[in-house]
Amino acid sequence: MKPQSKNNDDAMSLPPRWADWLLETCLTPRLLEDVQGDLHEVFYKRVNEVGVAKARREFGWAVLHYLRPYFVKSLQRTDKLTESEYPSPECRTTFLLTPAMLRNYIKIAWRNIAHNKSFSTINILGLALGMACSLLIGLWIQDEFSVDAYHANGPQLYKVMERQFYDGKVDAGDGTPALLADELKKEFPEIAYAATLSWEEDRTFSVGDKLNKEKGRAVGSDWFKMFSVPLLAGTAETALNAPTKIAISRKLAQNYFGSPQLALGKSIRIGGKDDYQVSAVFEDVPANSSETYDYLLSWQDLLKRNEWLKDWGTNALQTRIMLHNDRNGVPADPGRLEAKMKSFLKSRNPGMAKKGLDIQLFLQPYQDAYLYSNFKSGYQDGGRIEYVRLFGIVAVFILLIACINFMNLATARSVKRAREVGVRKVVGAGRGLLIGQFVGEAMVLTSIALIIAIVVVWLLLPTFNSLTDKHITFRFTDATFWLMLLGMTLITGLISGSYPALFLSSLNPIRVLKGAVRFGSGARLFRQGLVVFQFALSMLLIIGTIVVYRQINFIQTKNLGFDRDGMLYVSSEGELGPKYNTFKDELLRMPGVQSVTRMQGTPTNGFGSTGNVQWPGKDPSTSIQFQFSTVDYDFTKTLKVKVSGRDFSKDFGADSANFLINETAARRIGYREPIGKPLTMWGKPGTIVGVIADYHQSSMHTPIEPFIAKLGDGQIIIVRTQPGQTKQALASLETLAQQMNPKFPFQYRFADEAFQTLYRSETIVGTLANYFAFLAIFISCLGLFGLAAFMAEQRTKEIGVRKVLGASVTSVVTLLSQDFLKLVFVAIVISSPVAWYAMSRWLQDYAYKIDIEWWVFALSGLLAIAIALLTISFQSIKAALVNPVKSLRSE
Amino acid sequence: MRRAFLGEFEEIVLLVVAACPAEAYGVTIWEDVQQQTGRSITMSAVHATLYRLEEKGYLSSTMGGATAERGGRRKRFFTLTALGVRALNDIQEMRSRLWQAIPPGKFQLMGF
Repeated sequence: MKPQSKNNDDAMSLPPRWADWLLETCLTPRLLEDVQGDLHEVFYKRVNEVGVAKARREFGWAVLHYLRPYFVKSLQRTDKLTESEYPSPECRTTFLLTPAMLRNYIKIAWRNIAHNKSFSTINILGLALGMACSLLIGLWIQDEFSVDAYHANGPQLYKVMERQFYDGKVDAGDGTPALLADELKKEFPEIAYAATLSWEEDRTFSVGDKLNKEKGRAVGSDWFKMFSVPLLAGTAETALNAPTKIAISRKLAQNYFGSPQLALGKSIRIGGKDDYQVSAVFEDVPANSSETYDYLLSWQDLLKRNEWLKDWGTNALQTRIMLHNDRNGVPADPGRLEAKMKSFLKSRNPGMAKKGLDIQLFLQPYQDAYLYSNFKSGYQDGGRIEYVRLFGIVAVFILLIACINFMNLATARSVKRAREVGVRKVVGAGRGLLIGQFVGEAMVLTSIALIIAIVVVWLLLPTFNSLTDKHITFRFTDATFWLMLLGMTLITGLISGSYPALFLSSLNPIRVLKGAVRFGSGARLFRQGLVVFQFALSMLLIIGTIVVYRQINFIQTKNLGFDRDGMLYVSSEGELGPKYNTFKDELLRMPGVQSVTRMQGTPTNGFGSTGNVQWPGKDPSTSIQFQFSTVDYDFTKTLKVKVSGRDFSKDFGADSANFLINETAARRIGYREPIGKPLTMWGKPGTIVGVIADYHQSSMHTPIEPFIAKLGDGQIIIVRTQPGQTKQALASLETLAQQMNPKFPFQYRFADEAFQTLYRSETIVGTLANYFAFLAIFISCLGLFGLAAFMAEQRTKEIGVRKVLGASVTSVVTLLSQDFLKLVFVAIVISSPVAWYAMSRWLQDYAYKIDIEWWVFALSGLLAIAIALLTISFQSIKAALVNPVKSLRSE
Repeated sequence: MRRAFLGEFEEIVLLVVAACPAEAYGVTIWEDVQQQTGRSITMSAVHATLYRLEEKGYLSSTMGGATAERGGRRKRFFTLTALGVRALNDIQEMRSRLWQAIPPGKFQLMGF
């Protein structure tokens, strides 16, 4: 046996600390000393018998046996014991957290809630609304962050982007040459997989007699190896490795074939002529994916259908890569790869330098791409993350406003609780305990509010989802969801409970119990400060809402340069393409149709851009990007755009070599009299025959760009209806389309609808901002209402005396209102410049925007004052109308 | 008189306290109980029983003086009260009455 260490300083020869601590915190104090003594005695004996380690284990084990109702202090029935001695002094303080005390706290809290029903309702309602609002926003933010975050290879995935230097400008975008993916993979060993992603196509599927339009894309064959899209049938290796293969979603498999397994190997006819074999069935793309598709075609097939894609000068497709992990699982350094591939395009497309164009490649982490999608002058500049931040701030603001209500009402009413605090202090309550009590009360209220908030959110979620175009659900099984709730309750409870707790617990019991409670100007100032803060926040939201609303309104009603009302888009597919002229002639003879044309892309969704435009006198070192499209006869007539010179016309035979340009293009080219002047696009010389008035080809975020149109066919047939005869026109279109093109379902879109979708996120933000501003002001008013009620109650006697002495109702109301109005006024003064700054920043994103005018501030100020006045006046008029006999009777 | 119910383990603890020649406290009682019964018993069980017996009035306890060997903590010494003595006597009496009531020769008949 080893020599025993008798040295008590040696920590190892002592019983385990944790066990002693457990004993001391849990054991009822009366029994602690001898039980602990006995245990220690046995421990030292055992150390000698079996050694330290075992004795320590035994000690711990023995201590655990004391954790039973009989010994644990909060459950100890103190009354039954015959006290043979007083508990030692250090044990006494812990008595304050005995069940009796806790019961008292709960009882007092409950009485306070129940006794002041109106105040409790205001508090709980305000908190519940605030929390519901924050919860909704929290869920939305969580959902935003979950987009594209589910891919197992997420950290290794990157988007290859282009940064284009031309014409003294820098632009960045995700369009890349079609051949880039394969070439990059060959050239750089760091890249494990690379795949191209095409634009979304809407194509007609037919299987047997089932006929439907489906949305999908073409992708490189590595797609399923890179992205976590589970395959229900087929393998990632063989899916899409040949041009006639197609992968479809579970939904399509079920619709056309009954089940994923049955679908495998079957054939689908697309566009009425090409047959494809189903090589894989993938799980439906989840709602939180930034790109959606119901089918995927192979990349070779896309190239075959679009020969022009093989040119290195195009940039119509997206390129995704996945980096290698080395043997230790460390991914390749994207920074180094980026530096290496920066000037890759120069080696493949040597011609571009001659045109004064430089294109550099760079990488964006795929998982960031959704939230950080905006590029300004070629560099990352916000995106959806700005809305996420904005709404995050709004959520905090609204919750803060609700907390302030709570703080204000609690402190204002503290006179009533001051006596209770005095008594508690006299019988020995420490400050910490009082703080605990009040914070605890706040927590109770917050918890009640949380339950209401959850119910509210649960009820509102479907509406919220349809408003924001999301699929948010309560994820009750998700730990983060519960953490979010817990965190929100704790933070709200702490913030709203902290000030009343600190303030009340600091009261001097002697003065309080003498009845001479006088609150210093400090407390009043603080309260006023809170009201100012609250209203400043509300003002900020009101002003923001008005500006956003006006900007959206401006966008939607602005004259685009063409008339978008009564205009329809019909996709030209199947027989409609080759038989377009017959279709047009027939259509024009039918009722409701005014004029018909067709073009590549749509007026508000450009087809493409090119820098390959030459004219005599052009500075060879500059490169101007022109939007271009092919349009058919009657283009300007159908769009109702003004044209100087002439439109393309059948009366002039050689129009196929001629151009229409817009005013901006004319300005950029520099012709003073552009009509009849020569212009060369893609090496084919022609003449400008007409200048069309500028119209917006894209959203108001971007300025109008130079535009060139050539005569040709197009994918989209544009139909102008006779004013007020949309129904007849639609009927005519449908009959004719079905007659001429029976293999394709008839589909159309209204031009103004297509235009609206450009501003989808703005519209959502606008609507949400509306609701949130309303909520903020509502919650603020709840607080103000409570404060006013309290003030009126406080000054009942004063008002009584004033009335007896001859004060009129008006003067009393003025007296009670002016204090609050002053605060609201200060809030307006503070928030206006802040709001101006914030909204100017927001408007900077638009090339075409409204001015923020002074009356916006005046209007929102007046609104705030009016609402506040309305809120207060109810209480102040009530107080002023009370018969003074009643209020003075008791004196 | 209401006869307080005394469980088997309580009875053993009470007897051990009664039988202890020196002053009885937690550790000695615990060791004796284990020794006499031959069972392994946790100390918390002994402590709980001791305090419960005290609540019932069969035992009384006093705190001893400060000690050196157990971190200065005092021992709680237990002694039988008059009620405790009477309870033990009652049990003993009841038992002997019952023993006497067994018909002579019954155990032999059963083969013992």
